Amino acid sequence: MTNPFREDLVSRSRPEPCTVVIFGATGDLTHRKLVPAIYNLAIDGELPPGVKIVGFARREKSDEEFRQGLEELNRKVSRSGHDDAIWAKFQESISYHQSEFTDADGYKRLAERLDAIDRDRGGKGNRLFYVASAPEFFDDILTQLKGAGLNKAKDGCWARVIVEKPFGTDLATAQHLNQVVNRTFHEKDTYRIDHYLGKETAQNIMVLRFANAIFEPLWNSRYISHVQVTCAENLGMEGGRGGYYDKSGALRDMVQNHLLQLLSLITMEPPTDLSADGVRDEKVKVIRSLRQWDTPEKVAKNVVRAQYTAGHVDGQPRPGYREEDRVDPESMTESYVAVRLLIDTWRWSGVPFYIRMGKQLPKKATEISIHFKDAPCVLFNALPGGVPGSNVLVLRIQPDEGISLRMVSKIPGTSLRLEPVKMDFHYSTSFGKGSPEAYERLLLDAMAGDATLFARRDEVEEAWKFIDNIEHAWHQSTTPPPMAEYVAGSWGPKEADELLQQDGNVWRRL
Amino acid sequence: MTTLSMHPELGLEVSVGSIDKELRKLWEQDEARTNASLMNLAIYSEAPGALEKNSAAIRELTAEHACRAILVGIDRDAPEASIRAWITAHCHLSHGKKSVCCEQIAFALTGTATGRLRNTVFAHLASDLPLILWWQGELSPRFEERLYSLVDRFVFDSADWADPRESFGRISDAIQSVTREMVVQDLSWTRSFQFRVSVAALFDDPLVLAALPEIEAVEIVHHPANRQSALQILAWLAVQAGWRDGMELDLAVQRRNGNKEGFSFEGPTGKTIAVTVTADESSAPLGLVKLSGGGVTVSVSREAGAPYLTRRIETPGQVVEAPGPVDPDAPASLIGEQLSRGGKNTLFQKILPRFRQLLER
Repeated sequence: MTNPFREDLVSRSRPEPCTVVIFGATGDLTHRKLVPAIYNLAIDGELPPGVKIVGFARREKSDEEFRQGLEELNRKVSRSGHDDAIWAKFQESISYHQSEFTDADGYKRLAERLDAIDRDRGGKGNRLFYVASAPEFFDDILTQLKGAGLNKAKDGCWARVIVEKPFGTDLATAQHLNQVVNRTFHEKDTYRIDHYLGKETAQNIMVLRFANAIFEPLWNSRYISHVQVTCAENLGMEGGRGGYYDKSGALRDMVQNHLLQLLSLITMEPPTDLSADGVRDEKVKVIRSLRQWDTPEKVAKNVVRAQYTAGHVDGQPRPGYREEDRVDPESMTESYVAVRLLIDTWRWSGVPFYIRMGKQLPKKATEISIHFKDAPCVLFNALPGGVPGSNVLVLRIQPDEGISLRMVSKIPGTSLRLEPVKMDFHYSTSFGKGSPEAYERLLLDAMAGDATLFARRDEVEEAWKFIDNIEHAWHQSTTPPPMAEYVAGSWGPKEADELLQQDGNVWRRL
Repeated sequence: MTTLSMHPELGLEVSVGSIDKELRKLWEQDEARTNASLMNLAIYSEAPGALEKNSAAIRELTAEHACRAILVGIDRDAPEASIRAWITAHCHLSHGKKSVCCEQIAFALTGTATGRLRNTVFAHLASDLPLILWWQGELSPRFEERLYSLVDRFVFDSADWADPRESFGRISDAIQSVTREMVVQDLSWTRSFQFRVSVAALFDDPLVLAALPEIEAVEIVHHPANRQSALQILAWLAVQAGWRDGMELDLAVQRRNGNKEGFSFEGPTGKTIAVTVTADESSAPLGLVKLSGGGVTVSVSREAGAPYLTRRIETPGQVVEAPGPVDPDAPASLIGEQLSRGGKNTLFQKILPRFRQLLER
């Protein structure tokens, strides 16, 4: 029986009452993102009544201590502010479960606790397990969940798992983790989260492409010269990030997941429908079509890696990467990467895609720019100086979400002078209402069983295949491509500029 | 009508023929980064002082909804036909700078010369953007085909109407007669949105959903000014749950008894559902929607002025309560909420016939 009152009311999948178990509940992600996201969903009335949260972590804490810690952070970070009266009611749904991640007994107790919650709440048994712990515990947690029988849904209910990134550190570990996950949960119940896909502009990419008749006919190698995806960060290794980052690097930390996901949305074929697999089928075809840089020579030609040296960002002095806290002074981990990708499909044949990601760049910005080919070299292009710049469509993902289109216009006057002008659309000024946090949307989707914005197993593995080839050339080859350098506060190494110059292109200035 | 030249809220008075020119000048002087626009938002009122009041409402609305605002105030009883116009811009700050500015044109019309509203006022729409017309007060004779055929979304508040039966009849006729799609939006219906979402959320619970065929009593409490909202939510419950009109009750609930009204329905299984609709001066616009039967009671309630709804499920041995957001009380904020949601409001059109039946009973 379906709920007739939902019909025609809101156009989104409906979340179902469930208990959310968060592994790594004392961590930053839980405090800064997950619980505030659930709190905001509660305030917005998006949560069904009876949703419970159980924090699972190793430290000794009472329910009260756990709630106090969450409240403290919620006051600081909650998107819609903090209401004491609402929190007082909301926190009643939160409890804490102390256990080692490897302690089978702890999971048995968890199972009993969840059963008790279900009994109190009236016999429902939907469970959403959120694995937000450090990645080295993913395996143990999933295995222990299975050991306690928590992976099995009760009749008419569901048991789902959200796995945080990083989903593996290479193809082998991702495949292993996928095996463990799929031995524990069905693929349809597995949600590999990538919070970039919960962002408004990322979701808008498909709308922009497939709901506007003017773009899709131009969306191919005939009209598009090249595409750039930039993820610039103006931070370095502050707050002890160096320890994690030095084991990961720009390529694995950002490119493998976020940037390839965005690229696949930009380049996928129109799906036959908007179902999760309909969309993900098309995304994975793109990643599978990436031309592989599978030799050190190909990597050297198509990929640039670099580390920052001491410089200034925002007027403040910054150390070099190798001088950062918890970074190996001999580190060969890249804080910057630029990759040229080719997608061997009919639509994209011959179109280079450039991805760059770097730390300690001049500003924080993530955006995709689609560079259209120049107008034919007749008429205005035949004039001295030609046309100043081609059309560029920019999709800004963060921090200033929006879309802009550059076009050429005549400067008023008697002479024929042309200049580029920009049409700019800002989400914040056209839609005054703020967007929900990405985690809000994604948590709601998981509760509703909508996996469209979550990565599927084959997507993850195909992405790792591409990344692994580059990593092998860097770290396992006898003739590894060099590590370049860039000054902190600059836009990256000159080698990255040269990567585009080879094709007659330049990085877009942000 | 008040002396409008005394109200700086409306901005610069300009001749009707030079509105476009003066608007261009206005933007040239301004350092605003964005002249953003998602729609034409026109507000029509025949009430004295409405232009100034609505200008303040537009100031509030444009914080979230970029638009070209067109305010129309008409004094139909004035002996002379005249038209005056003012222009201004409402700008909002972001990061300490003007970031969005929305232009406003205000028209004050007197007399009954026909065609001026459509021909003069709506000649100043921003092209390619939808026209949303917020009609305030009773539907006057100016609500006619050649006017509403220009409109993409027609907004009104049936709580303002002395004879909602007659006015809804005209609205229904308008919906039938227009050749292009016109979305109608009753703010009385918008006022019930969060109540409807909350009721739907409560029935997401499988136990509650299982009890739906057993529902035998419905209780709705509303403020006396918001009877339409109460009847619309009742119509929605009946249409969505598949309740047929039942025999009139002459038992515990009289059809009308003081501030109470009684209705009866028959559920899909033949069960009789008794409905009590109570007007209460101390209630929020909608104060309570409660359904009970099959051992389950679900309710959505709001105290007057409370910032949140309370959603409640009672089953034997347990009570689950959760907060839910409320719809705003001010009409301008209600419109803002509606504009945020967009949509074609098909659900309202779906329940409209049943609601009109309830109005007739």
